[in-house]
Amino acid sequence: MVEKMEKPKIALYWCSSCGGCEESVLDLAGDILEIAEKIDIVFWPVAMDFKYKDIEMMGDGEITASLINGAIRTDDQEHMARLIRKKSRMVIAHGSCAHLGGAIGLANFYSKRDIFDRIYKKIPSVKNPRGILPKMKTERLLRNDIRQNTIDKSEGELGLPHFHERVKALSQVIDVDYYIPGCPPTPELIKNAILAILQKELPPKGSIFGEKRALCYTCSRIETKPDSVKIKKFRRVYEIKWDPTRCFLSQGIICLGIATRGGCGERCIKANMPCRGCFGPTDNVKDQGAKFLSALASIIDSNDERELKRIVDSIPDPAGLFYRYSLASSILKGKIENKP
Amino acid sequence: MKNRFEPKIIAFLCNWCSYECADSTGKAQKEYPSNLRIVRVMCSGRVDPQFILEAFKEGASGVLILGCKPGECHYKEGNFNTLKKYILLKKVLQQFGIEQERVMLEWVSASEEDKFVRIVSEMVERVKKLGSIIPPNPPLAKGGRGDFV
Amino acid sequence: MEKRIGVFICECGPNIKDAVNINEIERFVQSLDNVVLTRTFNLFCSEEGKRLIKDDIQKYHLTNIVIAACSPKEHEITFRKVLTEAGINPFFLQIANIREQCAWVVKDKKLATQKAGAIIAAAVRRIAFHEPLETKEIQCHSDVLVAGAGVAGISAALTLAQKNRKVYLIEKLPCIGGKVARYEKVFPDLECTSCMLDPLLDKVLHNEHIELLTFSEVQEVLGYYGNFVVKVKKKARFVDAGTCIGCGACFEVCPIEVENEYNEGLDSRKAIYIPYAGALPHVAVIDKKHCLHIQGKDCNACQNVCPFGSINYEETDQIQELKVGAIVLATGFDIFNPKSASQYGYGKIEDVYTSLEFERLLNSDGPSGGKLLLKNGRPPRRIAIVHCVGSRTKKYHEYCSGICCITSLKFAHLIKEQLPGTSVTEFYSDFCLPGKESQGFFNTIAEKKEVTFVQVKKLDSIEMVQKKGRISIQYKDICWKKKQSAFDLVVLSVALEAERDAKEVARIFGISQGKEGFFIEEHKNLAPVSTTAGGIFIAGCARGPKDIQSAVAEGQAAAGNILSKLLPGEKLSLEPMIAVVDEDLCSGCKTCVSLCPYKAITYKTPESPLTPLCKRGVEGDFKGGQGGFSGEKVKIAVINEVLCRGCGVCVASCPAGAIKARHFTDKQICAEIKGLLEVISEEPF
Repeated sequence: MVEKMEKPKIALYWCSSCGGCEESVLDLAGDILEIAEKIDIVFWPVAMDFKYKDIEMMGDGEITASLINGAIRTDDQEHMARLIRKKSRMVIAHGSCAHLGGAIGLANFYSKRDIFDRIYKKIPSVKNPRGILPKMKTERLLRNDIRQNTIDKSEGELGLPHFHERVKALSQVIDVDYYIPGCPPTPELIKNAILAILQKELPPKGSIFGEKRALCYTCSRIETKPDSVKIKKFRRVYEIKWDPTRCFLSQGIICLGIATRGGCGERCIKANMPCRGCFGPTDNVKDQGAKFLSALASIIDSNDERELKRIVDSIPDPAGLFYRYSLASSILKGKIENKP
Repeated sequence: MKNRFEPKIIAFLCNWCSYECADSTGKAQKEYPSNLRIVRVMCSGRVDPQFILEAFKEGASGVLILGCKPGECHYKEGNFNTLKKYILLKKVLQQFGIEQERVMLEWVSASEEDKFVRIVSEMVERVKKLGSIIPPNPPLAKGGRGDFV
Repeated sequence: MEKRIGVFICECGPNIKDAVNINEIERFVQSLDNVVLTRTFNLFCSEEGKRLIKDDIQKYHLTNIVIAACSPKEHEITFRKVLTEAGINPFFLQIANIREQCAWVVKDKKLATQKAGAIIAAAVRRIAFHEPLETKEIQCHSDVLVAGAGVAGISAALTLAQKNRKVYLIEKLPCIGGKVARYEKVFPDLECTSCMLDPLLDKVLHNEHIELLTFSEVQEVLGYYGNFVVKVKKKARFVDAGTCIGCGACFEVCPIEVENEYNEGLDSRKAIYIPYAGALPHVAVIDKKHCLHIQGKDCNACQNVCPFGSINYEETDQIQELKVGAIVLATGFDIFNPKSASQYGYGKIEDVYTSLEFERLLNSDGPSGGKLLLKNGRPPRRIAIVHCVGSRTKKYHEYCSGICCITSLKFAHLIKEQLPGTSVTEFYSDFCLPGKESQGFFNTIAEKKEVTFVQVKKLDSIEMVQKKGRISIQYKDICWKKKQSAFDLVVLSVALEAERDAKEVARIFGISQGKEGFFIEEHKNLAPVSTTAGGIFIAGCARGPKDIQSAVAEGQAAAGNILSKLLPGEKLSLEPMIAVVDEDLCSGCKTCVSLCPYKAITYKTPESPLTPLCKRGVEGDFKGGQGGFSGEKVKIAVINEVLCRGCGVCVASCPAGAIKARHFTDKQICAEIKGLLEVISEEPF
């Protein structure tokens, strides 16, 4: 009897994410069938009916590779990430949020209290006169009782996961083997990552499945960029009619391509939108936002302090722009707190 | 004895004017607060904003950058480059909750020892009033985006 | 390789020893990573101290050395030599400055000990990331290009040629000698200019080491110190310089007459001409714009009459490419045009001249043969000289040109010499008479009481109008009293300003202009004739207004600089602490290109082939982003290691972290920051 070759087992999981990364898997389109034939998907709660116990029952290291997307915001997500880590031989951070904290990580500019106040109290569409905030444990009461204001019957406790003070990237919680960058990653990158796993042709641990150089290297507009870009005024895309063939920066439009890892296929640029940095920094850069800041400031065309301030003030929310995807994994990781 | 808060200030000094000035302050034995910790760079324009963030992360309570006076930069316009970065960085740091007074850029020439002492003393006083800061710093897992060091 | 760090703590006599607790520091340092040896000594910069370090390096196989002592500015070089002698790369040294930054400025011993500990910890952490650096050398050309054949350029050229250095002397005009060649007599000894200058010009014309290219302009400069490639356009002269002897037969027959710019337009010349009598080289030139033949008309007058067959209408502009190692820019100055200051009536009132025009009027080779005459042919009886025209006023030039006062005094003297009966009045607000000769010259003239000096309150308040055929100068005297006085002839002592093409010259040569338009020196006091562009020197009035002796001195200084630094057959040593591009990381975003003050960064395809995209295990299959380019042809930033001075601005500004500052890397600096924030003991700071 010929022993059947066992197919690699793959798990997919999501944490704090918008679901776009899950979509990106489906974007593999026809290729997904080809891949699905060669692998066993053992856990994919978004697409199929899996329960926590399904993964709890697996042996340690039983899963060949797990792709986790989304950032870590709650203890439930952290718990699942740790559990999947234990069960998997390889964990891949899938998408910007898992890789860097992503747009979710921008929440680190606010404290947990600020966020709760905003969401549950201050948003105009919220009516919460008693200022009730979610609690980790809530007694479940019968509807009738509430209406009659006679709270004596309980159906037991309802639990909510603990909401961490900060958003973390996956690697700040568990050991991550590889990263697929992007918000969301391109289907090509996902396919290549899976093929690399299947063919056991893996790059060194810690590698990011992307280009080594920044976006400009492959950008079709680079030749239109003059050797000396000097910006006197920053413009936003709605403010001007911009030339769809010319380098964004040379038109005064902020484009993060200079500070962002390439490999995305310049999808945004081809759609005539400037880069926003979802592939994160290049290898030698620790802090994408700071590096972009440094480069951008350097090309401002003035040496006069007052004028510089005026030009800089024309960028609304610079930190949010420069750290759009990388705040949670930047040097400071979020807003600083003063010691009481 | 009451434990008074003694901030640590990381100072980036350019090799030609400001480091020279710190040296001549030393040679003149003019005392200034011991809170200052000096990093020598060739030009203030070498100061990468990442270094400033790194200093805060590692526990500095303030960062001082000193360069040659406008027009006196050893490398022509390096100090203007510093100024540009500094102005944009200050704006970004505000969003990080770092007070304006914690990062200062000043121009000193090699002979301005008294100015140097004054800048350092005032900076230390200001930062003392502000208190220390705690950067959110979750431990990095192995294989994560690593530290420089 | 395993790091074996040795930390040497210098007591510096009592200087450091008494200020800090050395034992405590030593204990702390021993606890730091990779430190295998600490040693304290009274004075490490002494011969004995240096020997100790050397012996320890060899005995303990130390790889990296930290010396906690005085400022690196004092002894870094001394100790680097020690490392080299001990057989390790000199850049494996870090000085912890615990004297100037600690012992001498922190009086509290406990605090000083804390701080010294942190400074040493920083050095220890930093040195773990040090890399060996080598001082590279490059081949270079020793030939020199001198642009501008005025007194400064000629002095540079002759000084260089004295040591058999090949010099290309480029002059945009058809003749050499610059503005000085057009003066009659020069200060301080009122020496006859042509007696002083002509022998020098002759030397230039006959020097076998000097290749003179008159009527030529530099069009493009590529390369860098030691290896410049300069494109020079040699404009067509239409006269063969080899056979023309300047006999003048051609001008006599030329039917075209135009204003002679070499005499400041005070007389006329023909379309074929020699700029002024005595111009060297004494060779005719055809003015293309006005020559009938060249403009397509039927005229061969000059060709027909030339006894030597020197005229060649077919001559075209030639481009010559020169390879040189260094460049001297001595492109001179222009004068302030008083037409832009209408109060002086220049251009409207007759017999109002600029100082340069007046020089020509006085010159025996000038339009009037040196005779001072009014436009109406009569000799002037009353002459006024107005100082500071265009100078010392924010309206035109804020600076003082420095030479006009003495020039005005020279004029007064020369007028009196020629027309003793003519009165001379000098209108001034302040006299600028620096140096060892000027005041004496002034005194001699003042003592003779032949010249009237009128101090006006504000030179701006002078107003000149024509009144009854004479020139009336209205002014306010020092008591703010309105006065006026009439003259036959007025000389405007105009400001010297940057040469009109200075901006273009600065662009071509890649150097900078100051706000007044003159070229900027590398250091105003200590490197006055070099520029921030390596290998390009400046001399004479191109650098700022000055007198002849200073211009000559600068020309010679520039030549001396070159003679001492750029030796034939010798290689040029390069600065090892420079910025380098990681070719695998640079995306060619061009951010750095314009930031370099030395133009050391260019956007181009590097010589070594670039690594193809996606090295990361996803090669081949990866399709994203390759949109129709081939990895080999792409351009990135390339730093010229000769031009880079290692300031690190590009490094800090590179958005992709693709540029490294040697000896000041991100890792080294961040390690230093970490160390500086270390606490030596748990006790309160």
